[in-house]
Amino acid sequence: MSAVSYAATAVPEVQVQRQTPSGRIAMTLALAGIVAVAVMPWWASTGTIRSILVLCCYIAVAQMWNLLAGYAGLVSVGQQAFMGAAGYALFVLAQTFGINPFLAVFLSLLVPAVLAVPLYLLLHRLDGPYFSIGTWVVAEVFRLVCSNLPIVNAGAGMSLRVMKDYSAFERNVAMSWLCAGMLLLTVGGSYWLLRSRYGLALIAMRDNPVAAASQGVNVAKLRFLIYVASAVGCGLAGAIYFMAQLRITPGSAFDPMWANVAIFIVMVGGIGSIEGVLIGALIFFIADRWFGAYGATYFVVLGLMTLLVALYARTGIWGLISKRWDAPWFPIRRKLVDPNRP
Amino acid sequence: MEWFDALVQGILLGGMYAQYALGMALMFGVMRIVNISHGDLVILLSLIGISMATAWGLAPVSVLIILVPLAVLMGWVLQKAVLNRVVGSDPLPSLIATFGLSIALQNLMLQIWSANSRSLPGHGIESQSIEIAGVYVGVLPLIVLAVATALTWGLDIVLKHTRFGRALRAASADVEAASMTGINPRAVYALATAVAVGILGFAAVFQSLRSTVAPADGPAQLIYAFEAVIIGGMGAVWGAFLGSMVLGIAQAIGFRIDPGFGVLAGHLVFLFVLATRPQGLFGKATT
Repeated sequence: MSAVSYAATAVPEVQVQRQTPSGRIAMTLALAGIVAVAVMPWWASTGTIRSILVLCCYIAVAQMWNLLAGYAGLVSVGQQAFMGAAGYALFVLAQTFGINPFLAVFLSLLVPAVLAVPLYLLLHRLDGPYFSIGTWVVAEVFRLVCSNLPIVNAGAGMSLRVMKDYSAFERNVAMSWLCAGMLLLTVGGSYWLLRSRYGLALIAMRDNPVAAASQGVNVAKLRFLIYVASAVGCGLAGAIYFMAQLRITPGSAFDPMWANVAIFIVMVGGIGSIEGVLIGALIFFIADRWFGAYGATYFVVLGLMTLLVALYARTGIWGLISKRWDAPWFPIRRKLVDPNRP
Repeated sequence: MEWFDALVQGILLGGMYAQYALGMALMFGVMRIVNISHGDLVILLSLIGISMATAWGLAPVSVLIILVPLAVLMGWVLQKAVLNRVVGSDPLPSLIATFGLSIALQNLMLQIWSANSRSLPGHGIESQSIEIAGVYVGVLPLIVLAVATALTWGLDIVLKHTRFGRALRAASADVEAASMTGINPRAVYALATAVAVGILGFAAVFQSLRSTVAPADGPAQLIYAFEAVIIGGMGAVWGAFLGSMVLGIAQAIGFRIDPGFGVLAGHLVFLFVLATRPQGLFGKATT
C-alpha cells in the first residue's frame, strides 16, 4: 500500500449533519402523536381508545419483527410466543398473586426476556429458513404447555377480574399511558438504536452480514441482543393487548395471526425502515376495519399481496416512495458538511 | 405390552410423517428453501381428492392415480411462478412468498370447502386390521409405511444413480459450478419441486384415508415434516425417514401418557435433539 499520510491537523473541518427538514417535521408530528395517545382519555371515547390500542400493538409488534427480519436477518414466524408468555405472566401475577396489574405489566416483561436467552441459543443452530419454522414450533410448545398447566387454568384460559377494582376512566388513563410508553420504547427506541453506533453496525449487517463481520461487527452478539430485545418488545405489546382484552386463552395468546400481521405490515410498508412500519400499520389497520367483515376473502387478498410484494416489490411502499423523494421521516444517515464550502 | 403397542403405532404414524418430510428434505437440500405452504398443499390435494371421490364415486386407488400427477403439475407450476423468483442465499424472500401463499391457500380452502373436517371413504380398508405378535395392526397404516419406505428407497436410488439425481446433487453442492458443467439449475429446481410436491399427492390420499382433514390443518403437517427432517439430520432422505419414525414414536408414547401430551412430546424430542445433537440423530457434523 502506498502511504498517503495526512498530518493530524490536515483533517478537514466538517460538521456531521444528522437531521433533515423532513426529519424535523416528522419528529414534531411523531412526538405530537405520542402525546395525543397519552391524553386519549380526555378526547376519545372508550371505543376509540380500544381501536388505537390495537393500532399501537400492530406498530410495536411490526417494528420488533422489522428489527429481527429487516436488520438482524432473523425471520421469525413465532413472535406470538413472547406476546402470549408476557400476557400469561401478567394474568398470573395480577389475578393469582394479587400484584397491582399496572405494575405487573412491567414485571411480566421478565418472562419473555428470560425465555428468549435459552431459546435463541437453541434456535440459532437452525439454518436460515429452518430457524423460522423453529420459532413457530416454540410458539406451539408454549401454547400446548399453557393448555396443560393448571396454574394458568389449562385450556379454559384466564380472566383478569381484578381490573374491575378500577374505574373505566382510570383504566383508560393507564391504557393510554401504556400505549404511549410502548410506542416510545419500540419506535423511539429503535430510532435511537439506529442512530447510535450500534445502528451503523445494524445497517451494515442488514446490507451484508459477512462484510459487516469483516469490518469488526460482532454479528452473532448483535443478533442475540436483537432477538432478546424483540422478545421483550413483543412481550410488552402482548401484556398491554391482553390487559385490554381482560381475557386470555392458549389459542388467543399464541395466535399465529400476529405473525401474519407483522409480516404483512413490514413487507407491504417497506422492510428495514421505521417509516415502512408506520405506513404498513396504518394500511393494515384501515383495511382490517373496512374489509375485516369479508373474513376469508380478505385474508386471501392479504396473503396474495404479501406474496406479490415478496416477488416483485421487496422494498415495499416506502421503498418506492424513497426512490422518488429523498425525504426520510426518521433520518439515520450521517452527512458530512464542510462549513467553509457553502 | 402396552408400550410395545405404542412403539408399533408410533412407527406406523412415522410412515405418514415420512411422506411429508421427504419433499421438504429434498427441497431444502437442493435449493435451501423451505416452502411454508408445504402442509397446505397436502390439505389442498386431500380436499380435491375427497371432492372427486364423492362426486364421481372413485376408489382410493383411482384418486391416487389422479392426484399424484396433479401434485407433480402443482409443484412444477409453484416452482415456475413463485420459487424460481425467490431462490437465493437470502432466506427472507422465499419465506415471505410461501408464507403469503400459505395464508391465501388456507383461506381459499376455507371458502370452498368450509371449516368442516372431511375424510376420504376407503370402502372398509381403513377399519381392517391384522394381528402380529399379539398386537393389532391396521392394514391401512401398514400400507402407508410400506409406501413411505418405497418412496424413500426410490428417491434415494434416483438421487444416487440417475442423471437427474446427479444434476440435483451437483446443483445443491454448488449452483455456479453445476451450471458451468451444463446443468440448467432452473430446470433441475423445477423437477425437484415437482417430485417433492408429487410425493405430497401420496401423503394427501393416505392422510385423508387415515384420519380427517380440514382447511386449517396445514401448519401442523408443515411442523411435523420440519421436525422429522431436523431430528433425522438435514439432507439425507433416509435421515428424514428415520426422523419421522422417531417423531411418530415420541408422539405415540406421549399420547399413551396423556392425550394432551402427545403432540407436545414430539416437540420436546425435537427441542432435545436440537440441544444435544443439532446435526440430527443420523446426520454428519458439518463443522
